Amino acid sequence: MKLYVPHIGHFEGLEELLAGSDNIYAVYMAGSPEYVGTGRTNLSTPKLDEIAQQTEYAHSKGVKMEIVLNSSCMGGQHLTPEGYRAIDWYFDKLNSIGIDSITVADPYLVEMLAKDYDMDVVVSVLSFVDTPQKAEFYEQLGATTIVVDPAVNRHFDKLEAIKDTVSCKLKLLVNEACLYQCPFRYAHFNFFSHANGPGPKPNVLDDYYYYKCLSLRIKDPQQIIKSPWIRPEDLKEYKHITDTFKIGGRTHFVNWILNNVEAYANERYDGNLMDLLDSIKDLKDTFYIPNRELDGAIEQWKKCDKVCHKCGYCKRLAEKVIHTYSGSGEDIRKIPLGSIGDRI
Amino acid sequence: MSMTQELLKARTSLENNLRELLGVPVFLIEMDAFALPCGCGGVTINTRGLQLDDLEVFEEHILKYLTDTATSLDIEPSFLFARLIPGTAEIASINARVLCNSCYMDFGRGSGKQPRPDIYIMRFDRRK
Ligand SMILES: [Zn+2]
Ligand SMILES: [Zn+2]
Repeated sequence: MKLYVPHIGHFEGLEELLAGSDNIYAVYMAGSPEYVGTGRTNLSTPKLDEIAQQTEYAHSKGVKMEIVLNSSCMGGQHLTPEGYRAIDWYFDKLNSIGIDSITVADPYLVEMLAKDYDMDVVVSVLSFVDTPQKAEFYEQLGATTIVVDPAVNRHFDKLEAIKDTVSCKLKLLVNEACLYQCPFRYAHFNFFSHANGPGPKPNVLDDYYYYKCLSLRIKDPQQIIKSPWIRPEDLKEYKHITDTFKIGGRTHFVNWILNNVEAYANERYDGNLMDLLDSIKDLKDTFYIPNRELDGAIEQWKKCDKVCHKCGYCKRLAEKVIHTYSGSGEDIRKIPLGSIGDRI
Repeated sequence: MSMTQELLKARTSLENNLRELLGVPVFLIEMDAFALPCGCGGVTINTRGLQLDDLEVFEEHILKYLTDTATSLDIEPSFLFARLIPGTAEIASINARVLCNSCYMDFGRGSGKQPRPDIYIMRFDRRK
C-alpha cells in the first residue's frame, strides 16, 4: 500500500513525521502561494530553498515529495503573459529540485506540467473527477495520477468504471469528511484559493462555509456518517481500484497525522472515528463515534443507491452509534444523542 | 476558584443549559476573557450550531442563561449580544461586555436590536 501523508511544511515537522512511522510512501505539502496557491488552508509557505532541503531529506529516507498547488480559482491570472511566465519559472525550479509530483486542480496547469517537465502530474480532488468521462479528459491532458472526488468514495460502480476507463493511476482520499454532496464545496474552495493564493487577498471576517458546514452536522449528525470517508478497516474493499491512498490534514499536529498513518497502515482503528477525520476538527470534542461499531456498514454503502430519504440507513446508524460529550475535563461524559434536550 | 476554573465551569454549564433548551448538541467551542485597549472588557463565547432563529425563539431563556454566566464571572450583565456572520443565520459568538465610555456612546447612539448587520443585541442597559 502507498500512503500519501500530509506534511505541515517546516523541516522540524518533516523530521518528526518521518521518525514517527515507516509506513509513509510520500509526503505532500503546499508550495509558495506567490505563484499558485492551494485550495485549502496551509500552515506554512515554504520557499524554494526550504523545499529543496526538505525534498533532499525525504529522498534520503526513501520517501517521495509531492507539492500541492491545487488552487481551484486563480481569477484568470495564470492566463496572462506575466502569470504564465511566473508559474513556468516556478515549475522549472521545482523540477530541478527533484520534486516527484505536483498536484494541480486547473486543467490548464495539468497540460502545462505534462508537456514540459519531468514531474508526475496529479489531478487534485478539487478537479472533482467523479465520472469515467472526466477521468478520460484528464488522462488525455497528461495526468499521471487522478485523485478521485471523494463524493464517489462509496459509489463502487463509478469507481470501477473510472478504473476500467483510464490507465493512469488512481488515488483515493480517505478522511476528508466534507458533507456528502456538499453545497459549499465549489464556493468554499474558491474562497480558500483566493485567501491562500497570490492575491489580492480578501480581508474576511469569518469563514461562512465552515460555520454552516458545522451547523448542519450539529443539527443533523447523520451527515457525519454520510460523508464519504473510508474507514481504515474498509481499505481492503478498495484494493481492486487502487493501492494508493491519501490522508488529508496538513493543518494538524504531527501526532494527529501519525495516528492516522498508523490507523490506515494497520487497517484498523479502535478509537473515536472523529480522531481520524480532517476538516471538522472543531467537532472532535463534541461527538464520539466508536469506529469499530461501524464494522460492516460498508456492505450497505456498496449496494446503496443514495436516495437517503427512502433508505434511512445512515440515519439509523447515527442514532445507534453517535454519542455526544457532555461536561468538560474530569467530568466529561458520553451521552446518547437522543437524550439531549427538552424543548420548552 | 482561579479565573480559568471559573471560565471552565461557566462554559460547561452554559453549554448544558443551551443544549437542554434547544434539544441539539450546541457547542461552545471556546470561552475567552478579554480586555481591549479602549477599556472595554468581558467574555466572548465562540459558538457552533447556534442560529439566529434559536436566539429569536428562545431569547428570553438564552438571555437569562447568559446573564447568569456573566454574573457568575463578576461581569456586569448590562451589555449582552451575539455576533452573526453578516447576511446569514449563523451565530459566531455570544458576548458579555462591560463597555468603556466611548464604546458605550457608539452603541448608545444606535437603536434597535441590530445596530450593525453582524450584531444582535439581547440586552443593552442605558446609563442614567
Ligand atoms: Zn475566483
Ligand atoms: Zn471600548
